[in-house]
Amino acid sequence: MIAYILRRLIGAVLVMLAVATLVFFMLRLVPGDPIAAMLADAGSEEAREAITRKLGLDQPLPIQFGRWFGNMLQGDLGASIYGSNQPVTKILLEALPRTMSLAFLSFIIALLIAVPAGIISATRKNTAADTTVSFFAFVGLSMPDFWLAILLIIVFAANLQWLPAIGYQPLSAGVIPWLSHLILPAIAIGTGFSAIIARMIRSSMLEVLQADYMRTAASKGLPTRILLLRHAFPNALIPVITVIGIAFALLISGAVVVENVFAIKGLGRVLIQGIQNRDYPVVQGAVLVVSAFFVLSNLLVDLLYAVIDPRIRYS
Amino acid sequence: MDDKDLMKRAEAELREAHDFDPRDPLFGLSKDELRGNKISRRATLRLLAAGGALTVAQVLPGLRPTAAFAGGHGGGELKCAWSGVGEIVTLDPAQINQVLQFQIASNVMSGLMHIDNTLVAQGDLAENWEVSADGLNYTIKLREGVTFHNGDAFTADDVLFTFERSSNPETSIHSRVIANVAQLEKLNDLEVKFTLKKPQASFLTKALERASGRAMTIVSRGGLEALGTAQYGLTPVGTGPYKITSHQQGQSVVLEKFADYYDPERPKLDKITITPVDGAEPLAAALEAGDIQYVGGNPVPAQLVDRFKQNPDLSVDVKPGPGFQSIWINPWRDFMRVDNFDKPLEELKKEKGFMVRLALAKALDRDLFIQQGRFGNGVPAHGTINPAMGFYFDDTLAGSSEQAFDPEGAKQLMADAGYPNGEGFPELKLQTTPNTRRDGLVVANIFKQVLGITVTVDPKDFSVGIEEFNKMDFDLRLGGSGGDYDPDDGLVDWMQTSSKFNGRDRDQSVHPFGFFSEAESDAAIDAQSVTAKPEERRELVQKANAITSNKVACGFLYHPVDILVHNKSVIVPEDARIPGLHELDRISLA
Repeated sequence: MIAYILRRLIGAVLVMLAVATLVFFMLRLVPGDPIAAMLADAGSEEAREAITRKLGLDQPLPIQFGRWFGNMLQGDLGASIYGSNQPVTKILLEALPRTMSLAFLSFIIALLIAVPAGIISATRKNTAADTTVSFFAFVGLSMPDFWLAILLIIVFAANLQWLPAIGYQPLSAGVIPWLSHLILPAIAIGTGFSAIIARMIRSSMLEVLQADYMRTAASKGLPTRILLLRHAFPNALIPVITVIGIAFALLISGAVVVENVFAIKGLGRVLIQGIQNRDYPVVQGAVLVVSAFFVLSNLLVDLLYAVIDPRIRYS
Repeated sequence: MDDKDLMKRAEAELREAHDFDPRDPLFGLSKDELRGNKISRRATLRLLAAGGALTVAQVLPGLRPTAAFAGGHGGGELKCAWSGVGEIVTLDPAQINQVLQFQIASNVMSGLMHIDNTLVAQGDLAENWEVSADGLNYTIKLREGVTFHNGDAFTADDVLFTFERSSNPETSIHSRVIANVAQLEKLNDLEVKFTLKKPQASFLTKALERASGRAMTIVSRGGLEALGTAQYGLTPVGTGPYKITSHQQGQSVVLEKFADYYDPERPKLDKITITPVDGAEPLAAALEAGDIQYVGGNPVPAQLVDRFKQNPDLSVDVKPGPGFQSIWINPWRDFMRVDNFDKPLEELKKEKGFMVRLALAKALDRDLFIQQGRFGNGVPAHGTINPAMGFYFDDTLAGSSEQAFDPEGAKQLMADAGYPNGEGFPELKLQTTPNTRRDGLVVANIFKQVLGITVTVDPKDFSVGIEEFNKMDFDLRLGGSGGDYDPDDGLVDWMQTSSKFNGRDRDQSVHPFGFFSEAESDAAIDAQSVTAKPEERRELVQKANAITSNKVACGFLYHPVDILVHNKSVIVPEDARIPGLHELDRISLA
């Protein structure tokens, strides 16, 4: 098992390095002039040349890549070329707790809705309860998260004035301020994901409920609660875990629209602003972190398979 | 007392409060009236009137201001949103490249000069100054007893340090602003002398201005060395009314009152929290919910203005803004080609390329655009000189310019150029940013309606659009300028052959100039730059402005208006209403 994990981790590092290399060269192919964006209404030709030289953008691409790659291997992701040249590591380390907080809370909300909804829908197939769950699942899937976010702001912030409309407070400021700032964006993001997961649980549960071992268990006279929670649900989790793993990684990078609406500077927003400004080091660093989350969440999902299903063994 | 008597008393008090010589530093009050621990009602109303904050509501019994507010020591915390931006990327004057950044930095840092609400330069860290008869030497006496937020004393050495830093393109993007300075000397600890290469009319209002100029916004050597440039960009140390106590990029900037600010009457507030908010609806909700009380940053989204006006808790104040927006027309595209603007206007009018350019400019129904695109918020533009410049603005140009809206004339020009009703005219692309896409669609629709030509809107990220603009690789482009406080900002920066935006990355072997080049206007712009006499300068400014308008340097579209939105609990005196800026040190809470 340990050997397997080590092999996967080595593979993960190689994947991340490949992604980093690809992103480095693809960014340079995208049209857009980072120095022009940076100078905007200011700057002489001398300033432009000086900045280009200072950032090393006057060097041939292989040399730029070699420098960046070498520094990256030593943990130095460089500095933003926009504004006051903040270190990329600092930018990412500031954004990550916000994104992780939001992703975590969204994830909890998604599971709190999806698990009971999926189980009810599967066990009461073709009943009013199933239809209701399916209806709301479709509504949740169809509703753009930014639209729901604005709706939540109008109702809970502007009209009822129960929760703040914008901003973020770290957990260190207290659980209540942290939660009050994150609950609306977490609902906006979590609702869509809950619909996906609920649909997945439903179809997976339906498959498991028709399995021979479920009929055997039922014929032994096991109570329905035990049947569902001890036998059906864990066995239905394998495909669900796969979706949840991908969903979590997507939450890390893909909450940009909701982050924007609620003025939370998370990883997604860092990435989008980096792309808009053609801020190469920031985009490269952010993509590296996002790819790390994807690779690691996939690894975690694979390991969870073995935990959920004892028949699965890695060597 | 009945209503009639109440109003009579209020009128009398209002008259009395405003009856003072504005040049009198004590506003007609005696020192005794301002001494002690309590200020009389008369003195309170006089001080309010002097600050431009006195209204009839305040003199009515029961609504009169408190002594604390009248004395300008209101205290409290103001929560602001900075609109249309995800983060404040820098507050270091040497790196600032957006108006919304210097709107904040200007409350933290001082300059030698600072413009007032009539755009006239007033001394900031400069106590007084003398200009030599030839206009080449500026001797500036510095304010005494000023300290930086870190406790360092401000001296002439800081002016020299700032100058050296800003002159170096490696450390500042604004070296061009002070390129006309031949030498800066320290005469003593509190006196410096600038020697210019040639006279410069805008030296005080532009080069030395703390907000829009940025090159001579005084930075702290000690602060820079202690923090390093990256951190200094987030939490710069200055001598301004507020110091930055926290800056979480993308989340908030927290300003706190600097107790040792040189003016004991300012700042009024104890603390200001600024949150960047990128999106119209979250901004509106936060303002309506009371999460924020004041909006700065990019202009408030035009579609929200009427909604805010209808909200009884909010105040909306509209003033002319310092800028212009245009449709830039590439003169190197075959169907609108003009390779020599130096010909007399009547001769140019015979060229097909110029006919098309003029037709496009004449077709711009600016009133309709402002109504549909800006929800009624804007002023039709016919040149770069904006109404906020007041003295230099030419209000006759709208009627006299060749560009004045004339749909029939525009159609005739297109027909004369060989494109009757737009037939045979190629489809044009109008480059916009993602944020100005809607404006582009309105313009495209106007061209379709008036000229029958098809224009497709082509939104591009700023970094891509500016690259194509600099290389002259576009058909039409919607864009312009903000923060134009001096005629140089509109004319020198945009309308000269050597202007920094005039196709600076073009292939010069193919395109000898960028979007416009005209010798007579170049000469007038050069001349106004070195003319110190305001009337003479105005004549030259208006001459250059008229030439660029008549010869269609671009299709001038509109001057943005400066819309200030805040909760009514925030008191913004008239002297804090500098277009495009936010004088947070003069603002107080009711």
